[in-house]
Amino acid sequence: MSQAFTKAMARNIFYGGSVFFFLLFLALTFDTHNAWPDRDNRAAINDSVSHGKALWEENNCVGCHSLLGEGAYFAPELGNAFQRLGGKDGIKGFIMSRPKDGIPGRRSMPQFDFSPEELDAIADFLEYVSGINTANWPPNIQG
Amino acid sequence: MMSNNMETSAAAPVGVQPATRPAYPPGDLAIWIFILAELLVFAVFFAAYAFTRMNHVELFNEYQATLNRDAALINTLALLTSSYFVMRGVVAAREGNNALCARWIWAAVAMGVVFVVVKSTEYAHHLGAGVSLSTNDFYMFYLSLTFFHFMHVILGMVILAAVAVKARSGGYSVEDHTGVETGASYWHMVDLLWLILFPLVYVMR
Amino acid sequence: MQYKSQAVAKPYFIAAIGLFVGQILFGLILGLQYVIGDFMFPEIPFNVARMVHTNLLIVWLLFGFMGAAYYLVPEEAERELVSPGLALLMFWVFLVAGALTILGYLLVPYSGLAELTRNELLPTMGREFLEQPTITKLGIVVVALAFVFNIGLTILKGRKTVVSLVLLIGLVGLAVFFLFSFYNPDNLVKDKYYWWWVVHLWVEGVWELILGSILAFVLIKTTGVDREVIEKWLYVIIAMTLITGIIGTGHHFYWIGAPEYWQWWGSIFSALEPIPFFMMTVFAFNMVNRRRRNHPNKAAILWALGTAVMAFLGAGVWGFLHTLSPVNYYTHGTQITAAHGHMAFYGAYVMIVLTMISYAMPMLRGREAANSNRSQVLEMWSFWLMTVSIVFITLFLTGAGILQVYLQRFSADPLPFMVVQDKIALFYWMREVAGLVFLIGLLTYVASFFVGSREPEATVAVAEKA
Repeated sequence: MSQAFTKAMARNIFYGGSVFFFLLFLALTFDTHNAWPDRDNRAAINDSVSHGKALWEENNCVGCHSLLGEGAYFAPELGNAFQRLGGKDGIKGFIMSRPKDGIPGRRSMPQFDFSPEELDAIADFLEYVSGINTANWPPNIQG
Repeated sequence: MMSNNMETSAAAPVGVQPATRPAYPPGDLAIWIFILAELLVFAVFFAAYAFTRMNHVELFNEYQATLNRDAALINTLALLTSSYFVMRGVVAAREGNNALCARWIWAAVAMGVVFVVVKSTEYAHHLGAGVSLSTNDFYMFYLSLTFFHFMHVILGMVILAAVAVKARSGGYSVEDHTGVETGASYWHMVDLLWLILFPLVYVMR
Repeated sequence: MQYKSQAVAKPYFIAAIGLFVGQILFGLILGLQYVIGDFMFPEIPFNVARMVHTNLLIVWLLFGFMGAAYYLVPEEAERELVSPGLALLMFWVFLVAGALTILGYLLVPYSGLAELTRNELLPTMGREFLEQPTITKLGIVVVALAFVFNIGLTILKGRKTVVSLVLLIGLVGLAVFFLFSFYNPDNLVKDKYYWWWVVHLWVEGVWELILGSILAFVLIKTTGVDREVIEKWLYVIIAMTLITGIIGTGHHFYWIGAPEYWQWWGSIFSALEPIPFFMMTVFAFNMVNRRRRNHPNKAAILWALGTAVMAFLGAGVWGFLHTLSPVNYYTHGTQITAAHGHMAFYGAYVMIVLTMISYAMPMLRGREAANSNRSQVLEMWSFWLMTVSIVFITLFLTGAGILQVYLQRFSADPLPFMVVQDKIALFYWMREVAGLVFLIGLLTYVASFFVGSREPEATVAVAEKA
């Protein structure tokens, strides 16, 4: 029976299958792009949000936190931080209150010494993220 | 082709392989592993459809009414006819008649073109009405299932065209026509899937 | 060693092992920070140690892949490398760029590194696994291009085998999909969607082609089974990999703002992703059982079989555990993901690189085919120490993850994240102990290169099979 199983056919299935499914992936990606305007909260993106995202990246926040469940699992999920911490003021208050030398024996977020404008930008970014339609994830407010 | 095989396999005692007996399964074994994998994926999709429909019968019935059943019926006939043509192509190849084989396979590809054209007009109609995968669960399944199948039709046509080109250049013989059987097996699967899809998505209420 | 230019693989392998040690040391620091929160704070905060841990992993695996390619391609193509000099030059470029980047992480605050490297010109930093400064990313592209050029031209000018073609497709894919790391829009949903085109299409796509071809090469060499048979398997395995894995990307799109049909597409196709890994296990054992000769390098065969089993367990089984969207709704972004990540990376990619090093290094160091018995025994000890401890790391993290999911997400009265972390600390302690055993295993592995090097080569105990 294995005689009928030729290498040429295995090769054709590899090339044909890969091209087929990559094209399907592109088609689904195309539809995904069309669906995004209703889901990704793009209306909320402004200069402050962009600045906030840059700060998020340049301080490697994702090295401890997760955002929409992706990142590190050392510190709380932040996709719903806007709701959990009580809005922009709650977020800013938490970031500002971190002690410089940490908390003995415990995990602590560093003190980043952000300017008021930067704090605003980060809070705006997290507010924007909280408005993304994530199919009801996370399951509850604890993230 | 199928009946031919079943007769011989029923007649031949297990373990005895007369040299003249067509190999079973027909075509390359690799394609059968692939066909089984494909059927598995479609089976899961069909089950998911049935499960979701069970929970949203009214929604599914309401939007099922927006589908064009006549177009789907034409496509069913087109694919059935094409499968018949493919079978004639296989018979011709087994008799070593490459030119006749190529003609039958090209005829099958032509029926595939009919399917693609009809299905495309259906898609154009839906897209024109602003329907997308995100519209609702019914359209999600309808578009996913039929488009996934649609791509299989196109792939099947590419395979058949390759077979026809090779047959035209005299590439098969009475001894070796595995390629024709392989392509035919794949095409029959594409047809079979539609025969499940059609009642499931278009007709069943 | 049949071709002189294969020797360029040696520095790549040595660098890979060195960086591997660094990766594990930082892993232990991270593990300790999980239970002693202020350990090394604020000098080396968790995020910095994690960056070093994950980036070192990626870099040393890339060193391993490149070394493997430089060793394997001349033998497959039956000719010398087009340019061994370029390969050596790129080795130093990559090593220096990698070392500078790691030092940058450790010595400068991350935001300072961003400023220093002018991240604002083309912001690509600060995303998981893609933390490297933009200039480093450009360096990676240059190294990858030079590497693919060198390997590709050698293959094109020489004998073209399935093993080397599949390897080349994998390497070209690796380079192409890395380009998506330069796309970083303000729109977080798009950012995340295309971030996965690098991460998923690497580890669950093109890297598996590289894995498959290296495994096929080592099996051809060590079992003597007909190349035709092995190449047929290779094609079928990688076909299933891409057929399931490309749409399988959808299992990352459930909760990041992509449309909800991805829950269906992603669940169905990623549920099939274990199939190629299962086939790989069947394949490897089949080939070894059907071997035409006994190879004196038993350690290499052990690594090869270990790769097949552990890749199936880590990537296949532990991946399947949480890939279906109704399950993933609760497990997404918990220690379950971490558990899967550890065993999958070790089982699939760490082990295949160690397989290749185990097979090639004796020849690169002037042996006929294998190390001395004493060296091999030690190497096989390190295999079991590392493999068993990664199994325990995975089990402990899975335990932690199940508890975390229950306490934080599933119970009637969900608890806050930090409260839950305190409650599951015991599992983190046990993970750290298992991590220490892993380090012992790794040090044993390093030691195996220095032990018994003056003793005679191991020979085949049993006479050649007919």
